[in-house]
Parts: sequence; structure tokens; C-alpha cells
Amino acid sequence: MMRNTLINKQLIIQKIREFFRKQEVLEVQTPILQNTSTSDVYIDSISLTINSDIGIQSIQYLHTSPELEMKKLLAQGSGDIYQICQVFRNNEYGEQNFNEFTLLEYYRLGFDIHQLMDDIVNLLQMLGVQDKVYQLSYAQVFSQYANIDILNTDIGSLKIIASKLGLSTDSIWIEDLQMLLFVHLVEPKLKNLPLCFIYDYPKSQSTLAKVRNQVAKRFELYLNGVEVANGYDELQTKDEYQQVFICENNKRKQFSKLISEIDVSFLSKLSKPLPQCTGVAIGINRLLTQIN
Amino acid sequence: MDKYSINHFKNGLKFILDSNPCSILNNEIVKPGKGQAFNRVKFKDLITGKILIKTFKSSEFLEGADVMELDLQYLYNDGNSWNFMDLHSFEQYIIDGTIVSGVKGYLVEQDICIVTLWNDNPISITPPNHVILEVFDTDPGLKGDTVGTSAKPATMNTGVVLQVPLFVSIGDKVKVDTRINEYVGRA
Repeated sequence: MMRNTLINKQLIIQKIREFFRKQEVLEVQTPILQNTSTSDVYIDSISLTINSDIGIQSIQYLHTSPELEMKKLLAQGSGDIYQICQVFRNNEYGEQNFNEFTLLEYYRLGFDIHQLMDDIVNLLQMLGVQDKVYQLSYAQVFSQYANIDILNTDIGSLKIIASKLGLSTDSIWIEDLQMLLFVHLVEPKLKNLPLCFIYDYPKSQSTLAKVRNQVAKRFELYLNGVEVANGYDELQTKDEYQQVFICENNKRKQFSKLISEIDVSFLSKLSKPLPQCTGVAIGINRLLTQIN
Repeated sequence: MDKYSINHFKNGLKFILDSNPCSILNNEIVKPGKGQAFNRVKFKDLITGKILIKTFKSSEFLEGADVMELDLQYLYNDGNSWNFMDLHSFEQYIIDGTIVSGVKGYLVEQDICIVTLWNDNPISITPPNHVILEVFDTDPGLKGDTVGTSAKPATMNTGVVLQVPLFVSIGDKVKVDTRINEYVGRA
């Protein structure tokens, strides 16, 4: 039994590697130990005390995602790359969230988010998924399942809607209310769709994705209502990244969370901007559970 | 009463919401890729009996409810109130008709029921899953009439009406599933 599970997982990983080999996407490995913690507002790094020299201790962090290290490679001309690795996050609770899990992260040069979504569909089909593919915009699902014009509703009006549903309105930022309403009204409906992409997020949720025509060019993949992947049309310039890091740190400050130092080693690699590319992180454990 | 962090919500935990005591049926933690953690909580309002779903931020706190469940024996009703007894302490509980109304038809003297107390006051009664009731009235089943209709309505001695097989007649004792109001078999 145990061995069968291992064989099954190995087969899937082999198929994933084969998928990328055929498309000449290069497999890479990047450092797991980091000098800075993540600036992501709602993700926490696990810290370690390391003896880096005799008598000298330093605090380091396990990576929460290989994103920035892989972007360093992209900025230096790596071309298309992917990585399958363990990532580590603190303060994760619940049946779907773990302190350690396996991520597949990959970047495709010159792709927009629609090309990347199609590429993921090809990958899933090669892994045996045959479900009908739904691609719905964030605005579409909100209008369809919640009758809310999410891109044109301000924070005050969202608070009124939340309050009518008996939900907490104690949020400073509009994206928190958007997500609360998404989790309450939309996500349960996605359980009826075996394979669904949600794309074009409100610009308040852009994080590291480009904003075009008032929407953030990013997408998420849901399999049977479980979020499995998160993809972006990636920001390219040093200034844009610096701005996001500062903004996220300001939010962390308000939650009295650990403030991460600005990742200088990353920004210094962006003297030339990143090539235009889209990237996606896929949770392998969640994927395996959903496709088996 | 204690405050509970949403993250510590376990199935069966009792809390106060909109001034009613509620019981958790399921607590699902949802963490969007780039967002804060939420808890989608399915719970039962113990006063109205309604099952509801609400999404909380994981950082929220809720007030616990002092809710207790006791196994009490149903003794008798005197028209206005229903009398129960704790077989260990011999303490008697007199329960108002409004609380009993939904389950009146399944209360059989001597049966052990679950009585839910909130701040020491009874708020609901759960009869045993199966009870034995006596058929008070039903049409006589016609011999040979086994095709087409296989069931007929019957009124029990407690007032509840349910579908029974044709061979059941007045005075029979039958076993009834109280959760779905269905005939299970002859007792």
C-alpha cells in the first residue's frame, strides 16, 4: 500500500518533468535558506538560528516560496525555468494548510496569463485530468454567484453587504472584504466545478502582478473548490518590486507582525528589469489529492 | 464566560451568536493564496434549530455559551408542562410546552431523552432515535391489496401521523425513527 502511494507520486512527478523537458523549460534548484523573511502580509517565515562562523550566530529563514530566487535567475537570462521543492510557512492551520509542503513553481517568458492557463490545462490533461475547463473572471463569478459588481463597489458598500450577511466589517483594506465575501459567497459554489480558473483580480489584490485596464493580471486555479495554483503576469522593474515590498511591510506593521528587511540581494539583481514573463505556483500535495 | 479564538473552534463547541446559543457542526479553515485566513463555520442555532454557515476571520473571538446536555427520563405531562427526572440525582425538571412542541409526538413515558440546558434553563429536547408507539387509528388493510399502494397513514397514541404498511392495525405497537418520522418495524 505504502509503496503504491510512493510509486504513484513518483509517476506524477516524472510526468511533470517530462512535460517541461519537452518544452525545454529548465529545472533549477535555488537556496532554501534566506537572509530575509517574506514580506507577504499573510504568510509568515520560519526562522532559524544558524552558526555561520565560530561563535557567530545569525538568524536565517526557510523560504516560503522559491519565487524571488527564481526571479533572480530570470533577471540574469535563465530563460524558462521550473522548480519542484519543499516550502515552509509558519502559523498555518487547517486541513488544507501545512507548515511544509511541495510547490511546483514555473515561469514562461513571453506568455500572458491566458497562455499560461492553457499550458496548465495541457499539464493537467497529461496527468489524466479530463474535466471541462471553466475560465471565469473575478468580476464574472462575483456577479454570477453573489450579484455584486466587485470591481466597482467601494469599501463602504462592501461593508454594508458584509454586515447584512452578519459578517465582520472590521477591515481596514478593501481587499480583505473582497476576500471575505469571496470565501463566503463564491468559493462554496466553485465546489461544483471540477476545474476552474478565476482570472483578472481587482487591482487592490495585485501584489506582484501587473495591473492593466484596472485589473490585476493574475489567476487562481480551483479543483473541486480547492485552490491549487496562483499565477501572475510578473512585475518587471526594480522600482515596482520595491514599492510592493514597502507597502506590504507597512501592512505587516499594522498587524504587529515581523517586518522583513527589504531583500537587497534580490533588488540588486534587477538592475536590468525581468523579461516579460508569467509565473505560477502549484501546490503539489493539493493537486495530488484532487486528481487521484 | 470564556472567549474562544475561532481557530480553536472544535465540533460540538457551544458559542453565543446574536444572543442565541449555537453549536459548531463543522469548522473549515480557508486561506486564500495571498490573503488572510478565514474560517467557514457551519453551526446550529440551538434555539431556532436552524443550521447556518458563516465566514469568520481567523483572528476573531466569540463568547462561549454555557450549554449542557443531560440524559433525563420523561415522566409525565400535566397538560401545561412536561416533567423529566435525572435518574442519578433524582432532580426533577419541569419543561414548558413551547419547548416540547416539536417532539411531543415522540415522548414516551420512561424513555430517556437528551435535554439541552442553556444557563441552566431547558432549551430543547431530543427524543431517542427510536421509540415504540401504539397505533391509535388507521384504516383496516384490505387483503390482497399489495399492488400499487403499500402504505397507509396511521395516527399514533401520541398524536403523530406516519405511513405504515397495510398489515398494521389499531392497537399494534410499532417502532418509529424519530429523526425522519418513519416506520421501522413492528415492536
